[in-house]
Amino acid sequence: MSANAPAIGQPSRWILPAALALVLISFVAAVFLGIVDIPARDVLSALTGTGSTEARSIILDIRLPRIVTGILAGMQFALAGLLLQTITRNPLADPSLMGVSQGATLTVTLFLLFTVYLANPDSYSVNELPIAWLPPAGMIGGMAAGGIIYLLAFRLDLSPLRITLCGIAIGAVLHAIAIGLIAGWGSARIEIILEWLSGSLYARTWDHALFLLPFTVAGLGMLPLIYRPLNLLRFDAAVARSFGLSYRRQFSLVLLVSCALAASAVGAVGPIVFVGLIVPHLARFLAGRHFPLVLPLTIVLGAVIVTLGDLVGRLAGGPEEVPIGVVTALMGVPVMLALLRRVP
Amino acid sequence: MPLTCSHLSVSYGRRRALSGFSLSMEKGEIRALIGPNGSGKSTALQALAGLIASSEGRAEIEGVSVASMSRRAIAKKLAFLPQQPVAPDEMTVAQLVRQGRFPHVGLFRSYGRKDEEAIAWALESTGLTGLAGRTLQELSGGERQRAWISAALAQEAAILLLDEPTSFLDIGYQVEVLDLVHRLSRERGVTIVMAIHDINQAIAVSDRISLLEKGELRFDGAPKALSESGLVEKTFRVKGTFVEVAPGKPPHFDVELTKLNRSGP
Ligand SMILES: Nc1ncnc2c1ncn2[C@@H]1O[C@H](COP(=O)(O)OP(=O)(O)OP(=O)(O)O)[C@@H](O)[C@H]1O
Ligand SMILES: [Mg+2]
Repeated sequence: MSANAPAIGQPSRWILPAALALVLISFVAAVFLGIVDIPARDVLSALTGTGSTEARSIILDIRLPRIVTGILAGMQFALAGLLLQTITRNPLADPSLMGVSQGATLTVTLFLLFTVYLANPDSYSVNELPIAWLPPAGMIGGMAAGGIIYLLAFRLDLSPLRITLCGIAIGAVLHAIAIGLIAGWGSARIEIILEWLSGSLYARTWDHALFLLPFTVAGLGMLPLIYRPLNLLRFDAAVARSFGLSYRRQFSLVLLVSCALAASAVGAVGPIVFVGLIVPHLARFLAGRHFPLVLPLTIVLGAVIVTLGDLVGRLAGGPEEVPIGVVTALMGVPVMLALLRRVP
Repeated sequence: MPLTCSHLSVSYGRRRALSGFSLSMEKGEIRALIGPNGSGKSTALQALAGLIASSEGRAEIEGVSVASMSRRAIAKKLAFLPQQPVAPDEMTVAQLVRQGRFPHVGLFRSYGRKDEEAIAWALESTGLTGLAGRTLQELSGGERQRAWISAALAQEAAILLLDEPTSFLDIGYQVEVLDLVHRLSRERGVTIVMAIHDINQAIAVSDRISLLEKGELRFDGAPKALSESGLVEKTFRVKGTFVEVAPGKPPHFDVELTKLNRSGP
């Protein structure tokens, strides 16, 4: 960033192009590989709109929408995590710190309970479940939980520690209520919730991708606006304010962006929040002292990790695929432990 | 006048840390703020910088109440170095100093030649040009302190508030910082208020001195008048004398180390 920066390692030149290449590679791999073996030539012709109906439907209606949904959700989770970790100065922050995933879990549970069970108590038909409404329902719950925690912490001066404590307390309560409801429910439909809870890209359609797209675009579009404040929010409030930052306003704005990104992503694919925790650490590790690289790397790696994680889950599980949430958690833990060893 | 405050009072909860503090600074004046630990020096500086709200009285920059100004408007006119500032360990010196330009560039304007010059000057003035690429974690305590001074300098504000700028520095850099303070005031007309513990440095560098005790202003005036008042000995509960070192030079406070009884083994 400055002419005075030493030339040691200089990862800045190749690391971002390398990460972008990785996005492309994982995207291509995810399109071409799958549980149904489709020859590369058929995949290509499906992509150009020719080829067999079966290949076309697998590629265009199943694989592509879930990959795109995953990429969007991955970028959102990773970015949300980075924003939250930065402004709370808490390296262990992820979107669940703001109660986003717990709130979403609760509203999704309530939503299924009311619409399905109360309206139509005898039905066992899974087809009638209003799955299309889960993303907005989850998102509203996530935003609401984030809002409650924000208001509680706002009264107490918005200190990062207060936010963390409020978040843990409210998150635990919401989570307990949701689990209580699920346990007391005891119906066959519990499967839908369980699948949603583990974070899954299974059966994600273009509708999900279209639901996420405006949030991804808006979130990325906000970056130029919050970029410099984000640098200053790494200091404590007194220092940031004496450098000329309106601390409360900027803190609240970044928090809002983070919650909106996380809540919409949780709504669409369930809580794959581990991505939000791990990817910013990976990006920081790769960027080293080149801080300006952390933000773009986080976004790009978010897309890569979710795409690859989902591919691994699809291939490893056979017809009963392993949900992406499980894969990222399993892959993420060793990475996390390795990275944390570097922290003094 | 660039910076004034009158009857400023600050409380933390029920504890009153500053009562009825008044100050009025001329342009280019250097003011030392002295007083025992906990006497309210940092509190006074923070209130002047608008970082904590006062319960009574107000601070004004060029006649405008600090409380009514935006943070960015304040930061253009006033730079503040906290007593123990914290920065992320992985931040480099250059990145820290760059933040000092935020009030000038704002959210969008890119760093121009003037900004880069200010940054280079701030690094140079604190002897940090060679360390610009190091992270703060890789610095000694004194180097880190100079990095913060440098960031405050980069703001190029007409008012500079420094909270114990020399406390972690070796004697060489202490003199250098005091010399820098002196040059800023005389060459650039910067108005400076600094909390400082070394009485002799305070006397040597400042035009006027404010002495605080338990949140109350005990003295406000020229160093010479302070040395003749007997207040230093009383406030700090020490025995000592002010001795004339050279004619026309400020007196030197020679403290008696009575509690050390060094009468051989
Ligand atoms: N954040 C705070 N909350 C509560 N009390 C505080 C706080 N900061 C300072 N105080 C109290 O206010 C009084 C003045 O503190 P201040 O930091 O202004 O002293 P100081 O003169 O700067 O001391 P030092 O020489 O040790 O830096 C002290 O009694 C201190 O205990
Ligand atoms: Mg102090």
